[in-house]
Amino acid sequence: MRALTYFVTEAAGSLWRGRRAASLAILTIGAGLFVLGFFLIVNTNLQRLAARWGETAEFAIYLRDDVSAEQVESLSRLVHDSGVAARVDQVSKDQALERFRQDFPDLGATAERLNRNPFPASLDVRLRPGASRAEEAAEALAGRLAGSPGVADVRYDRRWLARLNGVVRFVRTVGLIIVGMLALAAALTVANVVRLAAHARRDEIEIMQLVGAPLTYIRGPLVLEGVMQGGAGAVVAIAALGALSALLRARDGGAISQVLGMESLTFLPVELSGILLLGGMLLGCIGGLMVARGVR
Amino acid sequence: MIEARGVSKLYGRGVYALQDLTLRIDKGEFVFLTGPSGAGKSTLLRLLLRQDVPSEGEMIVGGRNLAALTGRQVQSYRRSLGFVFQDFKLLQAKTVLENVAFVPRVLGLAVAQQQRRTFQVLKWVGLQHRMNAYPRELSGGEQQRIAIARALVNDPVIILADEPTGNLDPDLSLEIMNLLREVNARGTTVLIATHDRELIRRVGRRSLTLDHGRIVEVS
Repeated sequence: MRALTYFVTEAAGSLWRGRRAASLAILTIGAGLFVLGFFLIVNTNLQRLAARWGETAEFAIYLRDDVSAEQVESLSRLVHDSGVAARVDQVSKDQALERFRQDFPDLGATAERLNRNPFPASLDVRLRPGASRAEEAAEALAGRLAGSPGVADVRYDRRWLARLNGVVRFVRTVGLIIVGMLALAAALTVANVVRLAAHARRDEIEIMQLVGAPLTYIRGPLVLEGVMQGGAGAVVAIAALGALSALLRARDGGAISQVLGMESLTFLPVELSGILLLGGMLLGCIGGLMVARGVR
Repeated sequence: MIEARGVSKLYGRGVYALQDLTLRIDKGEFVFLTGPSGAGKSTLLRLLLRQDVPSEGEMIVGGRNLAALTGRQVQSYRRSLGFVFQDFKLLQAKTVLENVAFVPRVLGLAVAQQQRRTFQVLKWVGLQHRMNAYPRELSGGEQQRIAIARALVNDPVIILADEPTGNLDPDLSLEIMNLLREVNARGTTVLIATHDRELIRRVGRRSLTLDHGRIVEVS
């Protein structure tokens, strides 16, 4: 407890004495963690989006005009037995036309001018939540349906979902590379600031070495100083992300939610704040240790 | 107490700071180490502080071979020493009280113990009334007395002093020597490196004269 009190007092005093250099380190860490936090937020939301859209993915089995009732029955059974479907709705040609008129009222007149109804009847298959992850089963079903009698075409929303997942992975990879570089820069900045602080305290350190002070007493304040800088940097990043979240919510939050089909976007969850805080302190600790290891 | 057995210290390109040095200082002795600049006085003190190890021979203190000590043992050994330097090495940003209390504080002593020891030694060197002053507000003699107080606060068995009066006038030098004699009278072994032969004559204790890393005279 005495040692901890000593570490905190010395580290805080040293930070205060070198507050200009320390501010630079804190801002550097803050910038790095802000970018990290931003990528985590984007990644989290993209993943949620992919999962949500994946859950609502559906098959549309377009039927030939000459399909028989037995064939429709057979197709429905095939889908039900596959275990991936939550619901199967049969849509007649007339219902398909009506749906078109509702979805595209401006084009309704165009459809009226046609001699016949061009829209095919279909079986709309709603996949069970989570079943879309059983990719192989869904793909296999799509393949079997495409070759079945009475089927004109099968539309399965899988390719664009795969593309979205690819985008998520790409964003994550790019984010990790950028964050890694920023983390390295932040740790080096902290190390330099702590090194400056150690230089300013060289007389104290020399006396401590001469009187036989335990190494933990010599190194502890240096490491803690790094941890404090990292923590402060994380607080700066969290505050900036919070401000950005508030701004986006106030200005475009509703629009974004509507466009992406999500009731509420995740901006700054507690877990993410905790990760950033711990990450900042870890970076600072690494910077402090880089200097402290050199003091013997 | 302190024993050097054939100690040599070689600094690159065959330059010997100490050469085949053999000496013995008993417990409770007051000994001067003298000689011209570059004679090896400071090197010997560095070896005794275990800031360096001999190139050849053994440096034995309290029965322990200093070169064989581990890192932790070095820390423990240094806690039995007190040191005084020519330039005082006081922390300018700390008050007299904080300078002296710094040692027990970084050794992890309880606050009450830190305060008790600090007040005791400040009283002993006669500077308890200046405890809130900063080093820059003190005279050279007062600063060296504070340095001595700091060296004593941990109740060392050996005091090592490197030119402790180098920055002081003759009267203040004698005052500091009297203080160190009082320390010695309490049973602490005192080893002082100085080139001030007049001071040695006035204090009148055993002196070892070094030249080119060898003892050339014992008086």
